[in-house]
Amino acid sequence: MEIKAKPVTSGTAEGEAIVSRMAISFTGGMDPDTGIIREPGHDLEGKSVADKILVFPTGKGSTTGSWQFYAAFKRGHAPRGIINVKAEGVVAVSAIITGIPMVHEPEKNPIELIQSGDFVKIDADKGLIYINDQ
Amino acid sequence: MYDFDQADDMNIPMYHRVRQGKIHDVLKSLGIVLTYSCHHYLVGNVPRFGDHIAWASSGSQVFANSVIGARSNRDGDHVALAAAIVGAIPEWGLHLEENRKGELLVDVNALHHDAYDPADYKALGWHLGKRIGAGIPVFINLPPHMHIEAIKGLLYTLTVTGAMGLAHLVGITPEAPTIEAAFLGRIPQSPAITVSQKDIDNAYGEISSAKEEKVDLVIFGCPQCSMQEIQDVVRILNGRKVHPGTQFWICTSSWVKLLCERMGLLDMLRSLGVRIVADVGAADGPHLYLREQGVRVIAINSARGSYYAHNLFGMETWFGSTRECVETALSGKWEGKK
Repeated sequence: MEIKAKPVTSGTAEGEAIVSRMAISFTGGMDPDTGIIREPGHDLEGKSVADKILVFPTGKGSTTGSWQFYAAFKRGHAPRGIINVKAEGVVAVSAIITGIPMVHEPEKNPIELIQSGDFVKIDADKGLIYINDQ
Repeated sequence: MYDFDQADDMNIPMYHRVRQGKIHDVLKSLGIVLTYSCHHYLVGNVPRFGDHIAWASSGSQVFANSVIGARSNRDGDHVALAAAIVGAIPEWGLHLEENRKGELLVDVNALHHDAYDPADYKALGWHLGKRIGAGIPVFINLPPHMHIEAIKGLLYTLTVTGAMGLAHLVGITPEAPTIEAAFLGRIPQSPAITVSQKDIDNAYGEISSAKEEKVDLVIFGCPQCSMQEIQDVVRILNGRKVHPGTQFWICTSSWVKLLCERMGLLDMLRSLGVRIVADVGAADGPHLYLREQGVRVIAINSARGSYYAHNLFGMETWFGSTRECVETALSGKWEGKK
């Protein structure tokens, strides 16, 4: 399946999806030493976003999130790509400074269509998401 | 950061001083004004209505948009740094008037505003941030003479559990003298979001993470305390001394600390066991070395500080009003809601 989306950054990424229905704060919400989501009560609590295609509604929390994301990236624990329902400034700039492919505002709701474990490709140059399309 | 004047007295570890010293030198070489404050308007950075600004700090951003009417996006910190270097910011989001219109109505009529403390508005912000996420809320039935500390409490917490850049507080926000103005004339047909006292009570339960009653540290200043908040502490303490087994810190900017010194509050508070700590916030760096020094359970009057101290540094936190936290510092055990 193919979904059109708006590019936030450029480039392509592919890998296993990890999907959340909840907003993510990279500051406090994710451990930059492991990529594990650590916010109590979060639907990804205890799960790692490292090397995954991370699908979630939007960011939240501190603007220092872009530092925490950068730290995770430098230590090899960042996701390979990001799909947001609607990007906000902190997650967007996190993707921009690390060069991670990111798209948002897909034409169909990615949280309904993508399940954790699905194989997902992002083409941020063309603004396309491919689901289980190997 | 850490308080340079108290580094030895507070046993700030050398590794921390070295790392912060490097950051200090870099910022200085870039010509940055070194306020070390998370609370920009409190240290003299006051934009005009309609000014386009790039402010790091999600709390200050929403304050600038919603109280001053300056225009700032919810930018990651790197955007503000880049803006300072190039002197420009991308023209998108909340810099454009059409993107500043309200998106959903929030009616807080059911809350007992007459009896509300700033902590209650922080609990309200916590609850609504979670419910609203990234929309632009339009609040009605807030008290028209709402105190600035209560407004701050609400706005700074909305951006912890949510991603608001702007909240229209009708009658308070310059762009929202009326509901119609807040929505740019297009009031949504959908029913307003309402909040009950039970929602607020539940939020208190979610914000606190501690179980143990004994409190190692009472810490204020997320965002950094204003002079008014420090004077509140002085009034509540009324000359009483902090429990010997509990530390009490008030984090603020070096400007406010200087004022405290001039007014004799620094020494007076010190004699009661309260330390004014400059250049740090109650949710950031100090928890790194405080944990090494054995601090585990903290009491804090900031929901924002509670979230970050717990999730970033593993502190067990109690959240409550300034009065509850001060009483906790005196008895050494948690005196607020459980």
